[in-house]
Amino acid sequence: MKHQTTSQKNSRPASFGGAALLALSLAVATPATAQNEAPTNPPPASGQAISRVEAAQQAQAETLQKLLDRIGQLEKQGAEQKAAAQALQKAYDEQREAHAEREQKLQGKITELEGKAGSLAGSGTAQPAADAPTPQALQQQIRIIERKNELAAEAADAKAKTSPKLTVGAGGFAFSSADTNFVLKIKGLIQTDYRAFFDNNALLDGHNSFLLRRARPIIEGTVFKDFDFQFVPDFGGSSVSIYDAWLNYKYRPELQLKAGRFKGPVGLENLQADASSSFNERGFPSSLVASRNIGIQLWGDLADGVASYAAGVFNNAGDARNPNNNDFIDNKEVAGRLFFQPFKQTDISVLQGLGFGVGASFSQINGNALALPNTTGGTLSGYTTSGQQQFFAYNPAAGTVVGDGAHWRLAPQATYYYGPFGLLGEYTISEQGVKNGVRKADLHNTAWQVSAQWVLTGEAATFASLTPAHPFDLHNGQWGAWQLVARYGQLNLDGKAFPFFSDPTLSAHEAAGWAVGINWWLNKNIRILTSFAHTDFSGGGTFNPAVARTLTAPATVTHQNEDVVFTRIQLAF
Amino acid sequence: MRNWIYNFAGMLLVAGGLAAPVRGAEATLLNVSYDVTREFYQDFNQAFAAQWQAKTGDTLTINQSHGGSSKQAQSVVNGLAADVVTMNQPLDVELLFTSGKLIPQNWAERLPNHSVPYNSTIVFVVRKGNPKHIRTWEDLVQANVSVVIPNPKTSGNGRYSYLAAWGHALRKSAGDEQRPRELVGKLFANVPVLDTGGRGATITFAGRGIGDVLLTFENEAVQVRKNFPGDALEVVVPPDSVLAENPVAWVDRNVAKHHTGAVAQAYLKYLYSEAGQELAARYYFRPTNPAILAKYPGRFPALELFTVEAIAGGWKQAQQKHFSDGGVFDQLYTAK
Repeated sequence: MKHQTTSQKNSRPASFGGAALLALSLAVATPATAQNEAPTNPPPASGQAISRVEAAQQAQAETLQKLLDRIGQLEKQGAEQKAAAQALQKAYDEQREAHAEREQKLQGKITELEGKAGSLAGSGTAQPAADAPTPQALQQQIRIIERKNELAAEAADAKAKTSPKLTVGAGGFAFSSADTNFVLKIKGLIQTDYRAFFDNNALLDGHNSFLLRRARPIIEGTVFKDFDFQFVPDFGGSSVSIYDAWLNYKYRPELQLKAGRFKGPVGLENLQADASSSFNERGFPSSLVASRNIGIQLWGDLADGVASYAAGVFNNAGDARNPNNNDFIDNKEVAGRLFFQPFKQTDISVLQGLGFGVGASFSQINGNALALPNTTGGTLSGYTTSGQQQFFAYNPAAGTVVGDGAHWRLAPQATYYYGPFGLLGEYTISEQGVKNGVRKADLHNTAWQVSAQWVLTGEAATFASLTPAHPFDLHNGQWGAWQLVARYGQLNLDGKAFPFFSDPTLSAHEAAGWAVGINWWLNKNIRILTSFAHTDFSGGGTFNPAVARTLTAPATVTHQNEDVVFTRIQLAF
Repeated sequence: MRNWIYNFAGMLLVAGGLAAPVRGAEATLLNVSYDVTREFYQDFNQAFAAQWQAKTGDTLTINQSHGGSSKQAQSVVNGLAADVVTMNQPLDVELLFTSGKLIPQNWAERLPNHSVPYNSTIVFVVRKGNPKHIRTWEDLVQANVSVVIPNPKTSGNGRYSYLAAWGHALRKSAGDEQRPRELVGKLFANVPVLDTGGRGATITFAGRGIGDVLLTFENEAVQVRKNFPGDALEVVVPPDSVLAENPVAWVDRNVAKHHTGAVAQAYLKYLYSEAGQELAARYYFRPTNPAILAKYPGRFPALELFTVEAIAGGWKQAQQKHFSDGGVFDQLYTAK
């Protein structure tokens, strides 16, 4: 027995205390001078010595009882820790630390006992309780409890790795499988606008009105790791419609295939997320590209975004159109875009945010009204101001205009972001073949804009949404981020449009507008926009109370400059 | 009119997108294996990759995944994209057919020796000097002996340990199950912690200092001694034990998806090659090539080995009778 104890002391220093306690038991069980002889009778001793021995026995018994109690507590706590560990790894870690402290204390008690044993060794004899566990057994129990806790934690950890995850944050709500191969995100966009038009004359102006501009639940996610999808209906406007519904296969970031309904690749600002645009309404160039397309597109980002490309085939869609899901359009459109950010991955910070590229599309139309621009702000196809009023319409005095012949677009574009400053510029050509009866023309319409932003609070300006460094929190004196924005742009209609395709007395052939605004980003999710936009028109504007056609847009619009104040409260998550 | 151009362009885009994923000169294999083969396959993978590159010029990266054998098999069924599986019992490979149809029913017949390139058996690891004097199975059920065995429900290692004890007693009782029931019941009454895999049991015994004896595969027993030299652990080979047949298979559905069928088959066939068998022997797996096995009489002590089929009628029967919910193991074992 002694030999075993000695060998364990040598091989496992951690058990020294336990071995010593056993030595104590042996020592008090046998006379110090003759440890190999069984103690049949206690040696003669004075009454005082006997008392000391009894006291020592009592102390030892109490200490052992405390140890047993401690073990009981540890076992109980171990079971509790197991349950806690299954719920939270963190809770387990805390318990484990506490457990380590307790073990240290226990070890201290054992060491203390060793000391007492040393002092008692020569003073008398004592018999340990027959069923008292040995220190080694106690150590084993402690180790077993620890290991069980460890395994419980491992099991909890393994279970956590295979358990679905729920994430809630500024990016919306997300459910994902443990391996993230399956993800479902629920996001949303709500934009409540108010537009106030300045009434410059007696004619009708725009409607001063609240407007639920966009109310879109956004459902997106991933299935089988490489397949992404998005579904975006819009409950804003006069009817519910689907804006985005697509499936994307990502073989690599450089090689992706997208099919469904989504934004076409041509226009720069058109590609900017609705929640991120600087103003309530996009500039003129977006009027010359399709808002959405239905088709299939190969696309990708090369060299970590240094270059990106997109090329696809779509149903043809007229300028600014968001085609119906069931439009049967035989005419197809090929569209593509190349965009470069050559310094994105360099250390040249002043140029890192420089990007430029070009988008283009081509289609051949066979007499189709849907190939013309949308009808927003009027009853016929045409183009609108930022106040969403139609200043140009295909409204000849006689006949009906349809798209016919080639329709191509070319859209050179650039962005620049440096610190809190940002610039966005694009020039878009939309050459549209039109037909009115037997008359045909290719109309070369152009638009351009330059918009700038400056984030007063210093956050980095980006093409995407701002992330305020100090989200709005009155309790802590934080006000979010403030962003100044400005824009100038023009839209020029080809003179060949007049008079056989558009009435020059009613429609303008040019609109030029500027706008300034200030955006308050309370946080990443909430933004309040305020801006003022002014638009001048060239052409059109004839008003004649006797002619009904002059009592509606575009005549009522082009008769005066447009001055409008926009406000918006936006929730995007 | 020109619509065919656009339609054609659309088809090209689709075709281009789908055809783009082509193979290169680099390949990756995932070997999903059981808990105690890490070290062996680290060396084996290196040897095979070098041989493969010399033969084909292709660079091969071989990833390993280890855990309790049955858990690993279930992971593959659940989607872990293993190109090959190297398990410690046929049932775990069979699961890939029965539950996932990831492999064909005749998977065992595709490679020699029923797709078993090497064997092992269950032995004892005891503490220095064998203080509890453990020599055979009956010594494990003494009241003062603490035994470390992984969970038979999740670990092939544990299952073999259980069946080794069962088989030992059953053979002695000439088929009367009362004796093995008593032995196995007492044995697991002496198990303080049930790990989910063999490597976990090793950590419990050698790393945490729990128990007097560890039951594990022969190769793991040697690995334990090697990894804990200060403890001077000793390996005790019982007079009889179970033959642990370690089957392998390529996962047809995954290799088809990864285009790794050829390299996966070559990988497994290399286990049967002389070089592969030598490597297995070096890591204390018993080669199935008798000539190579015979080269290492000192490394693989003689003991009486009985098969699972001999003592339980086969793995399916063993699983159903002993390890299914409510089976003999559940009846005999009460968690502490």
